[in-house]
Amino acid sequence: MTLQLQHVTKKYKDFTAVDDLNFTIEKGEIFGLIGQNGAGKTTTFRMILDLQETTAGTITWNGQPVNAINRDVLGYLPEERGIFPTMKVEEQLYFFGELRGMKRAELKKEIDFWIQRFELEEKRKDKAETLSKGNQQKVQLIASFIHKPEFLILDEPFSGLDPVNKDLLKDAILLLKKQGTTILFSSHQMDNVEELCDHLCLLKRGVSLFSGSLLDLKKQYGKTKLAVRTDWSTTQLLALEGVKDVRVEKEQTVLTLADESFAQSIFEQLSNGKYIEKFSLDYLSLDEIFKDKVGGNVVEV
Amino acid sequence: MSKFSLLMMQLYKSKIKSKSFILMTCLYVLVMSVAVFWSEIKELFTGDDEAQQIAIINETSADLSDIFVSNGDMAFILDEKDVSALEKKVKDGKLDAIVTINDQNGQLQAEIATFTPLKLNDQSTLSSLLQYAGQHYAVQQLSLSPEQAAQIMAAQTTISTKNLNEESAGGKSEEEKQSGLVVSYAVGILIYFFISTFLSMITTEIASEKGSRAMEMLLVSVKPATHFKAKIAGVLLLALTQMGMIAAVFLIYAKFIKDGIVWDMAADIVKELSIGYVIYAIVFLLLTVILYLIIGALFGSLVSKVEEAGQVLMPAMIITIIGFYVMLTGMGNPDTIIIKIFSYIPLTSGMIMPMRIGATDIGGIVPFLSLGILIATIVVVYLFSLSFYKRSVLTYSSGGVIQKIKTVLKVTT
Repeated sequence: MTLQLQHVTKKYKDFTAVDDLNFTIEKGEIFGLIGQNGAGKTTTFRMILDLQETTAGTITWNGQPVNAINRDVLGYLPEERGIFPTMKVEEQLYFFGELRGMKRAELKKEIDFWIQRFELEEKRKDKAETLSKGNQQKVQLIASFIHKPEFLILDEPFSGLDPVNKDLLKDAILLLKKQGTTILFSSHQMDNVEELCDHLCLLKRGVSLFSGSLLDLKKQYGKTKLAVRTDWSTTQLLALEGVKDVRVEKEQTVLTLADESFAQSIFEQLSNGKYIEKFSLDYLSLDEIFKDKVGGNVVEV
Repeated sequence: MSKFSLLMMQLYKSKIKSKSFILMTCLYVLVMSVAVFWSEIKELFTGDDEAQQIAIINETSADLSDIFVSNGDMAFILDEKDVSALEKKVKDGKLDAIVTINDQNGQLQAEIATFTPLKLNDQSTLSSLLQYAGQHYAVQQLSLSPEQAAQIMAAQTTISTKNLNEESAGGKSEEEKQSGLVVSYAVGILIYFFISTFLSMITTEIASEKGSRAMEMLLVSVKPATHFKAKIAGVLLLALTQMGMIAAVFLIYAKFIKDGIVWDMAADIVKELSIGYVIYAIVFLLLTVILYLIIGALFGSLVSKVEEAGQVLMPAMIITIIGFYVMLTGMGNPDTIIIKIFSYIPLTSGMIMPMRIGATDIGGIVPFLSLGILIATIVVVYLFSLSFYKRSVLTYSSGGVIQKIKTVLKVTT
């Protein structure tokens, strides 16, 4: 149950949307595709779903080319929100479920479960167009996996959701994972990716900058983020060996180190053998790595 | 159910309940009812009117009482002489008109005196009666025998046609052509209305699915080709339903209203036109609707949102209007060169060919050829649309129709 992309390329007449993309998603894992707008995420999804043809390369699901598999094993939530405006919420879910080859009786159980879980009980009989944007998105989300797909693609599932609904969605994704669904999703909100993904791929203008596990990515940068609480001035801190950058925040000062190995000597100098309130060395957050990678300066992997 | 039938039924069910479909069907039934009950409806509007009271002052010696016979519309008062008393009655509104008839050099002269002018209808009836009376009077002056007089008044030329071209021997009689023309006109109008209704229905349906982005959700589970076919089949089913309903209402009217007069009339017309004509008309109707549905589906896939549907519908609508007007020119003379040309063009042949079959003398080859062109066009357009649809249906672009086509070609090749 793996999805494999090998040398996948999509070229249009005058530009390349996706250039030689390679990654593998194992069964039951959550894979994040990260990139700015126009990085080629949606194009990649469309190629996986056989909605667009690849210019070169192969995409396989369990060793079979994706255009030859039964489409009902796939689920897809498009980035653009779209459901039938005049169809009732419940009817909508039945329709998409039946379209995926499910029986009404099986569907009833699923629909009842998800409608209740996403707190849409009162909207059941309402026309989709009367729902708020967030609720429409929840309906569409349920529609994308109502048929229990083996492989689910979510394009920017978190955009437009409030924090409460974001948590509902996160829980749902984790539940689906538990049931064995393989999930590929894109986001530009790194906190979500960090929380959910096992593996990820960083895209910049169609080119993959990194593909692998989140931990590996972080390890490449090492533990170079050092948060301290100290009365040393910025100039004093910058003068320390191995400190590349100093940023004063509200409650703390964050140092960027050239390498993890400088941390110990900095600790000794700052504490001077005495008690110190805060000294915390950590990996960069995905957000920081992303900005760094996409921004194009420093480390090139 | 297969994905095809699920999609088709979803479209069918949602549209058959839509207000526009119900309204349109009711409109057809209403028009048919008006046609069937025309005499009763006319009665309803005019029946209340009392007969016009018209006094005739005959100052000649001739007896005109046979000519001015009272009926529901006009009541004639003959043998009145007192002009001033009558004029007073007219002014009081008790009488509508006074007609004074006298002799002037052997010819009748009539004067119609009214207080309020007569209705156009009544005026022309009265005029023709007076014309007839004038001829009658002139004949009477010739002092012929009653038989001779009757012969002159009843004189009529019998006209028959003989075609010296042996190939088209067995040509249609004037009557056949006339009823062919009338029926073809009705068929043409019906095709025109069906095309405009269902063409815009399929275009807006696909455009709205594309615009609401439900399309992507659908195309993940359904192949674009299946989607394309299901939409065409769904709308065609809807069109057939509407035709069926119209036919059913017609049959009910024909069989049960007015002791089946309508049925007999329809049977007469069919007999005059031959069964072949009816089959041709139905086949042309269906095929033309199918051709337009394919085009409509293709156009719907081009636009990015439903608001743009009108923009792409315009060219197709203009073609149907051209076809419709060309058909109208045939009402006077269905044998012109323009009609001949348009009866071969696939987009308009459905409206025009039935008229040529019904109202002119053409061999069996001509309609067959036109039908062949239509079928070939449908096949070609269908195959082309099927492949183009896959590419256009998920491409969102702005600009005019040409620009959209260019964008589709650019981003999918």
